[in-house]
Amino acid sequence: MKPTISSSRGIMKWGIALTVLGLVAMVGIYLLALAYTPLEVRQGAAQKIFYVHVPAAWSAMVAFTLVGLVSILYLWLRDERLDAFAASSAEVGLVFSVIMLTTGPIWGKPIWGTWWTWDARLTLTLILFLLFVGYMTLRSAVHDPAERARFAAVVGIMGMVLVPFIHLSVYLFRTLHPMPIVLKPSSPSLPPEMLRTLLLGFLAATVLYVGFVVLRYGLARHAMAQLDEEA
Amino acid sequence: MPENAGYMIAAYIVAAVVYLVYGGSLITRALRALRSDRDILGR
Repeated sequence: MKPTISSSRGIMKWGIALTVLGLVAMVGIYLLALAYTPLEVRQGAAQKIFYVHVPAAWSAMVAFTLVGLVSILYLWLRDERLDAFAASSAEVGLVFSVIMLTTGPIWGKPIWGTWWTWDARLTLTLILFLLFVGYMTLRSAVHDPAERARFAAVVGIMGMVLVPFIHLSVYLFRTLHPMPIVLKPSSPSLPPEMLRTLLLGFLAATVLYVGFVVLRYGLARHAMAQLDEEA
Repeated sequence: MPENAGYMIAAYIVAAVVYLVYGGSLITRALRALRSDRDILGR
């Protein structure tokens, strides 16, 4: 089904509403983190970076996983809407990755005494980020739409394969990175105020991810519809 | 100021700037596209 201007207008309007909602929710998380959660005894205020860093990492991993899953569907169905969604999710995943890869070292400096260490979790995350930078570069370098979508889908699937390794890396390798405290087999190990704020942070980052992707996808569909109308 | 507050403030500012710059740029592009359609299509 070819995209139309009117359907892309509807998608963009939804995207704007969800993005604004996500940004407002993120302001709420900042206020909760600053005013509601207690100060951690050993780390001090640096621990509160966790409410920004972990939800951003969550959304980045969701974004890159969806790129891979949608890319598999694209290779099967060859629907250009799936390719547009994968490209949108990859771009948004990179935005969340930038936050993850900058706030992590800002936490690491006072707690570990170093901005960066080449352990498994950090190195694999950086490789995932660079792989998706390559994904976006590839998309802008190949001009034939079908060829671009096919090549990008293969890279997107390779990126998705890295995600479970990144999650499990703290169990598989010796690493400085803290163990999971929520996404683990046993119950979460956090005081209730911290856990509530973190879970709401996941929710806010998910809404923001959905808003960004819907908006980015709407823009892509709008551009495709305009090209079709001009042709 | 609590211990390590400067690091927390730096991380919060970085995240806020990235979210606002990216979100703002998407919203601006979408509003421009919606406005240009309305001008062309009269809706």
